Amino acid sequence: MVTLPQPRSASRLRWGVFALLPLLLVACGDDSATPPTATGRANTTGTTGTTEASPVASATAAPQKGGTLVVSTASDPGQLNPAITTAGGTHFAAGSIYNGLVDLDKDFKPAPDLAESWTVSADGKSYTFKLVKGVKWHDGVPFTSADVKFTFEEVLLKFHARTKAGVEPVLAGIDTPDDLTVVFRFKTPYAPLLQQLNVIEAPIVAKHIYEGTDIQTNPANLKPVGTGPFRFVEYKKGQQLTLERNPDYFKPGLPYLDKLVFTIIPQDATRVLAFENNEVDYVVLPGSEVARFEKLQSVVVGRSAAGSGGSFCVSTIIPNQDKAPLDRVDVRLALNLAVDRPRMVKQILFDEGEAARGPIASTLWAFDKSLPAFEYSAQKANDALDKAGLKRGSGGTRFKLTAVVPTTQSRLMEILKENFTAVGVDLDLKLLEVNEANATVFMKRDFDLGFASYCNGPDPEIGVRRVYDSANIKAVLFSNGAAYRNPKVDDLFNQGVAEVSREKRIPIYATLQKALIADMPYLWLLETRNAYAIRPNLRGLRPWTSNLAEYAWIAK
Amino acid sequence: MDSRLAAYATRRVIQAIPLMFVVLTINFALVHLAPGDPITFLAGDQGSQQYFAEQRAKYGLDLPIYEQYGRYLLHAARGDFGYSFSYGQGVFAVILERVSATLLLMITAQLFAVVLGVFGGVVAARHRGGWAGTAIRTGAALGYALPVFWVGQLFILFFAFRLDLFPTFGMESPKSDYSGLRRLADIGHHLFLPALAVSLAEIGLLIRITDASLRDLEGAEFVRTARAKGLGERAVTYRHMLRNALLPIVTVIGGRIGTLLTGAVLVEIVFAWPGLGRLLFQAAVTRDYPLLMAMVVISSASVVVANIVTDIAYALLDPRVTYG
Repeated sequence: MVTLPQPRSASRLRWGVFALLPLLLVACGDDSATPPTATGRANTTGTTGTTEASPVASATAAPQKGGTLVVSTASDPGQLNPAITTAGGTHFAAGSIYNGLVDLDKDFKPAPDLAESWTVSADGKSYTFKLVKGVKWHDGVPFTSADVKFTFEEVLLKFHARTKAGVEPVLAGIDTPDDLTVVFRFKTPYAPLLQQLNVIEAPIVAKHIYEGTDIQTNPANLKPVGTGPFRFVEYKKGQQLTLERNPDYFKPGLPYLDKLVFTIIPQDATRVLAFENNEVDYVVLPGSEVARFEKLQSVVVGRSAAGSGGSFCVSTIIPNQDKAPLDRVDVRLALNLAVDRPRMVKQILFDEGEAARGPIASTLWAFDKSLPAFEYSAQKANDALDKAGLKRGSGGTRFKLTAVVPTTQSRLMEILKENFTAVGVDLDLKLLEVNEANATVFMKRDFDLGFASYCNGPDPEIGVRRVYDSANIKAVLFSNGAAYRNPKVDDLFNQGVAEVSREKRIPIYATLQKALIADMPYLWLLETRNAYAIRPNLRGLRPWTSNLAEYAWIAK
Repeated sequence: MDSRLAAYATRRVIQAIPLMFVVLTINFALVHLAPGDPITFLAGDQGSQQYFAEQRAKYGLDLPIYEQYGRYLLHAARGDFGYSFSYGQGVFAVILERVSATLLLMITAQLFAVVLGVFGGVVAARHRGGWAGTAIRTGAALGYALPVFWVGQLFILFFAFRLDLFPTFGMESPKSDYSGLRRLADIGHHLFLPALAVSLAEIGLLIRITDASLRDLEGAEFVRTARAKGLGERAVTYRHMLRNALLPIVTVIGGRIGTLLTGAVLVEIVFAWPGLGRLLFQAAVTRDYPLLMAMVVISSASVVVANIVTDIAYALLDPRVTYG
């Protein structure tokens, strides 16, 4: 766009061109930054377990105090109130400022947080929480049960999409008999509550800060006041969020670090180099970097199937069952046989993750460990499609499918296209920007095959049920996009949620998984995993939760 | 400065008003025609229909499109672009916070470009035919042609990582609490590589333009006269030729001033520079309509203003330009 000197009037044309320049830049700036994942992925967030024990989660030596931890993150957190959003970027940064009632340990078992103990009534309809005494907000105001009630009624159940969707339909009321007691009453027995009270699903915010204000634009959202291990110091947007140790934290001795800094580096390659150059201490690794990092001296590579951006996520193909021939079970089973998952694990995940074995992620407690790997056989798939009466036409094509998928999945979809072509199914790839792809599949429902990374969350009730429940076929993102209907499956989910004991729930979900695999309503492809790198002297990090540095310390 | 020039300037400003109206309209249309829905972004992954409806009503997104457009124009005229969805804060506050980082980057880059570009062009012109001239011209072509995100990444890899001369990212060291001069030095240290990356293409461009303009003047009579007077080559080039070659250079620089406020999206992303370019990109990705629209309007307005200023400067520099 060079304009060499010309007589004066040439400038007019230039104006128009330059005015459009910023738009052009936006249009072509594509893969160079990671979008902040509000709905970029189907993230049912949860603080849940690492798949392989994190090398640093359990510290053996006595923790040492002091030091600064610099954590790199791809997306700017935006506003810092985690109770009004499910955006992974906000939770990753703000999780250290707040607490939930109940924490989840690395095996995602409930552990005390703001609630020191709790009892569940025998019928599963009432939960009573005893709060920790002497907890103070960062501004010195005492924390009480009124904060909990206010947070649920006025904030979470209005603005936190997942907690609203999960808890609101079944909640009968919240009582606060005294300052340190909170009672949740439910209309029907409700098993997963303890899994939904951590700092990601239900961070508790201060009533005295938010009461009577527009909660979404309250200035405190950018200068948060929490109860958490770290206090807000400064937020330079697009650059860094600085937190400092909360000296009055209610857990004695915690936290160990003096300072916690989140620094925002949008580009993968820059983030990795910044870590290698010792400028940051924690980095989430792109799959292609993991193998190289594992060979590096003085770097510890860890893995987690959970994090503030989603937990136990399964890359899934959504066959639209409102359309033929995808409404037929035999066709879906045949297509599943044609999928070469091992190749996908190798070429897409760089072996960082696994082939999915069913509707529930293999690392979640509800997974039926007896399930075998899916068979891959183009021959059998061809035979099955022949048997289904879908013979190859001229040119060897049986039928054609349009796949509406995010551009971020293009390489995965190329493999699927090859797999399907081999069995005479022509796949027309329609690659769209991720939000538009999601809207086209879930809202407009204009597709044969769609894609979603469905994250299970710490309980099947949170992130699994929504995918299969026939009551959840609606214009909502990451709902039952396939429009799959099976009363038996619906009933099994109802049995699972009403049973409070996990031991008794496991066989119910085992039956459920077998029923789903027999119907193959979705093609479950890959279980993804987050790999991260830290320095060996960093101990006690909890990457599966968004309150990641509460127990972290640096060995000197 | 005479009254004709003042009248000319006034007319350019008045002409800019309908242009800004068109810019506002195109801006509105583009954002609303683009695929994607900000509410799905706001609401998260399991929002109910009722929740979507509540949020739409709250932000006026449930109104008919013409009414949204009318409100938007009205508010824009008052300079009110509303609240950023992702920050829950007035858009101007959000934008203002990022202005200084972008101005710092772009002005530094512009300085690099002018100094190195013009000087390089003059050297290339004076060594035409020699190896130095060829080397500079080749370098300029490369600098102009290489994609900036790739060059930026190479800079980081080589200067920051391998040689450890500069930090790899950002504007300040996250681990240190510098203040005063130490802090300025720290920012300067962070600034060098991204500013160089931003300016590289423009250095190349200015070298080529300076070189070409000087070449055009080579046979001019005043040059011959200057030489005939016995002036040295250096004086001829700098005192006589360069002044006349400045016009195209000013045009190029003026054209770039408009981009000062938009920042350099790609470089800001590669170097994690916390400026407006990244904010613009992020606003687009997250469908933060109010933020996105305000940024496009501001950057368009700054292009318009920069062009007016350039045209006036042009008229002042070259007496042959008439204020038609």
